[in-house]
Amino acid sequence: MKIWTSEHVFDHPWETVTTAAMQKYPNPMNPSVVGVDVLDRHVDASGKLHSHRLLSTEWGIPSIVKSLIGTCRTKTYVQEHSVVDPVKKTMELKSSNISFTNLVSVDERLVYKPHPHEPDKTVLTQEAIIAVKGVSLSSYLEGLMANTISSNANKGREALEWVINRLNAEIEEFTASARGTMRNPMAAAAFVEK
Amino acid sequence: MNSVGEACTELKREYDQCFNRWFAEKFLKGESAGDPCGQLFKRYQLCVQVRPALAPARPVAADSKAIKEKDIPIEGLEFMGPSKGKTENSS
Repeated sequence: MKIWTSEHVFDHPWETVTTAAMQKYPNPMNPSVVGVDVLDRHVDASGKLHSHRLLSTEWGIPSIVKSLIGTCRTKTYVQEHSVVDPVKKTMELKSSNISFTNLVSVDERLVYKPHPHEPDKTVLTQEAIIAVKGVSLSSYLEGLMANTISSNANKGREALEWVINRLNAEIEEFTASARGTMRNPMAAAAFVEK
Repeated sequence: MNSVGEACTELKREYDQCFNRWFAEKFLKGESAGDPCGQLFKRYQLCVQVRPALAPARPVAADSKAIKEKDIPIEGLEFMGPSKGKTENSS
């Protein structure tokens, strides 16, 4: 069993990061995630939003392998449960694989919270527990997987930054076009007055 | 982002747009009362999880029981209700 942990600070407020995290896919840094579905979503009695999602990932298996095992089996699936508390400002996300559970289990936990000293920043703490089963060299394989998780975690953070930039660009575009439509009626009114 | 069941992608997109707006503009600002996306969510769920016979009258592809068709092993995962703690994987 291997445990991997990491901590990262985003230079954005918690609301921005959480909104982006809910819309993380698709993004160019995680091209292997090809499908996301919401299986359940509700606000519980204490006001927290629970979401259960199913993610499907495609790992770019060579086509010759696909032709042997069939294209339906090249996707792997991950289930994800997230809880957002808008009062305490925490978002917790737990995910685990539901494919190949007889061979490997990868459990991940991510927590997003406002930075304790800098309110316009957000701290992400991440951990993954990896266990490879029933195979020799399992600790070596677990080490390899931890490296993959580490590099994916970096991509995941870049992905959030990408989503945040995209959302900000959309807001700016919307504001600019709203300003444009306001300017025209005023100019027309000024012309008519002359 | 596409749905796991390709036929449900459009329904999912409509729901996602509604949800993302509600999440940023209402929920995070403390106004979680009301469920403006409930209908859209139901239509999307009928496509992904349930038989097409129960889905509303709109053209759905034959493979629209997406999760059952693809044999995705979600049985046994607890989804309903405010569940505490994650699903336990044996390790």
